Amino acid sequence: MIEAIGLTKRYGPVLAVNDLDFEVPAGRVTGLLGPNGAGKSTTIRMIVGSLTPTRGRLNVNGFDVQNQSLRARRCIGYLPENTPLYDEMRVIEYLRYRGRLFGMRRKYRTLAIEQVLRRCWLEDVRRRPISQLSKGYRQRVGLAAALLHKPPVLILDEPTTGLDPSQIRETRSLIRELAGEHTVLLSSHILPEVERTCDAIIMIARGEIRAEGTLDELRQRSARHTRYEIETDGENARQAIIKVAGVASVDEDRLNDRWRRLLVTADINARDLREPMARALASIGSLARSLRRLDASLEQLFVEVVGDTDTVVKHAEDGSTKESKTPKRQEVNA
Amino acid sequence: MSRAMTIAGREWRAYFLSTSGYVITALFALFAGLFFVRYAFANGQVASMRPVFASGTWILAFIAPAITMRLLSEEFRMHTYETLITAPVRHGDIIVGKYLGAMGLLIIMLAPTLVFMVLLERYGRPDYGEVACGYLGLLLAGSAYVASGLFVSTLTSSQPVSFLVTMFFWITIGLGTKELPAMVPDWLATFVYAADPELRLRDFTIGLIDSSNVVYFVAITAFFLIASMQSLAARKWPS
Repeated sequence: MIEAIGLTKRYGPVLAVNDLDFEVPAGRVTGLLGPNGAGKSTTIRMIVGSLTPTRGRLNVNGFDVQNQSLRARRCIGYLPENTPLYDEMRVIEYLRYRGRLFGMRRKYRTLAIEQVLRRCWLEDVRRRPISQLSKGYRQRVGLAAALLHKPPVLILDEPTTGLDPSQIRETRSLIRELAGEHTVLLSSHILPEVERTCDAIIMIARGEIRAEGTLDELRQRSARHTRYEIETDGENARQAIIKVAGVASVDEDRLNDRWRRLLVTADINARDLREPMARALASIGSLARSLRRLDASLEQLFVEVVGDTDTVVKHAEDGSTKESKTPKRQEVNA
Repeated sequence: MSRAMTIAGREWRAYFLSTSGYVITALFALFAGLFFVRYAFANGQVASMRPVFASGTWILAFIAPAITMRLLSEEFRMHTYETLITAPVRHGDIIVGKYLGAMGLLIIMLAPTLVFMVLLERYGRPDYGEVACGYLGLLLAGSAYVASGLFVSTLTSSQPVSFLVTMFFWITIGLGTKELPAMVPDWLATFVYAADPELRLRDFTIGLIDSSNVVYFVAITAFFLIASMQSLAARKWPS
């Protein structure tokens, strides 16, 4: 549906996007994930045609974005970052204007406007000037405008930035709902966001693709090193665990005088180590008050591929995002 | 073309949904009214709009930039340009649409001056052919000024910069064509005179439609409209 070959964008001496090859298959929600400044917006702007690539080719719905620009643009519904709108217009006026720009005939346009007003819960505010709308409503107006001409491809640049938790939930469920009818590409720097909305992810950092695939594929990739967490009281527990076949490394944390926490990283493709580790502890007479396998998370992979120094948002509880400097973590690479 | 008209319609309404359309119309009515009362509407004067039209290039030097400063600068600043350019519209649609929208305001702005006609009719016998000719001249001059302002607004996202550059451009042309001929050789002075918009407009105000004057204003309009399209096409950064 969207196909990029050797896509490159240079701003003077700065290489914003370097030789991207990717494909966004039809009927899926694909997330473009990366830290701020990774080249997400640049990539998206080249796809929608507002920015000309320095090198490379782009096809949307079979149309070359540069040589068949008008036809390609007709296939795309685009919601730019921060939802720019004409503040002085009313919601319904804006939608009519967008419909005309896309050359929609009056009868069809009126029908389509009613549909998107319903779909984006905008019926109560249809006569309201856009300047009076809250951020959440503006977002919905932007989305309604993007959906108006029923584009096969929908491109959303950071669709949930600046929304409150309930608005984020609404937007997310709307995007999921749209997935059936449209091919969706959305960008985000918030991993849980992408994890909850998307079927597939393209992770980019410093203008290059670092990982791509469906959520399951990526989880499997990050699950190469299974990790376990053990809480035990044995003085020599660490030595006992490290001797277990399949264990790659063990980190120890003292919790108090008696208990300590061991973080175990297994070898690549090791079998389930819970039983042998429990036996090993029992054999030296140590007690394990907890022993569990940690779920393979995309976070690990994200941290690994994005690198050490980039600021990434790893945790988000419905909008309350927490930015953190990614620590240097060797156990990921082992 | 229908897309250009869509853009023109939105642009034209935007003037009157904000205060700018009213302020510009009021300011123009004020300036034109001052010239009318001071130089035309007085005892012993000929019943004519000549003084109002003749001052046109100077009034336009201030009013036209006020009309055009927002055209694209505002779209760049508010990032709405990105939604515009990702719709299936050509650069030409955008430029022609914006130009027609601004010309729409210019025409509305001229409407209140028709009141002067009523007054002249009440107290004298104006020559309607001459007046119509004056309006034509003002529209042609306005078109050239608006096109230049539109071009400047494709270059910056700042409305004040857009306003000032356009205004100083026309003030420089206006003053330069007055002062320069005395300082340059005769053969060059001929060209400088030829470039004076005030002289070009003056012919219209006395009821003279000289094709060279029409070509002068139309050529400036066309030049700046084409330059504006090129300017949009050359933009590397979307906003």
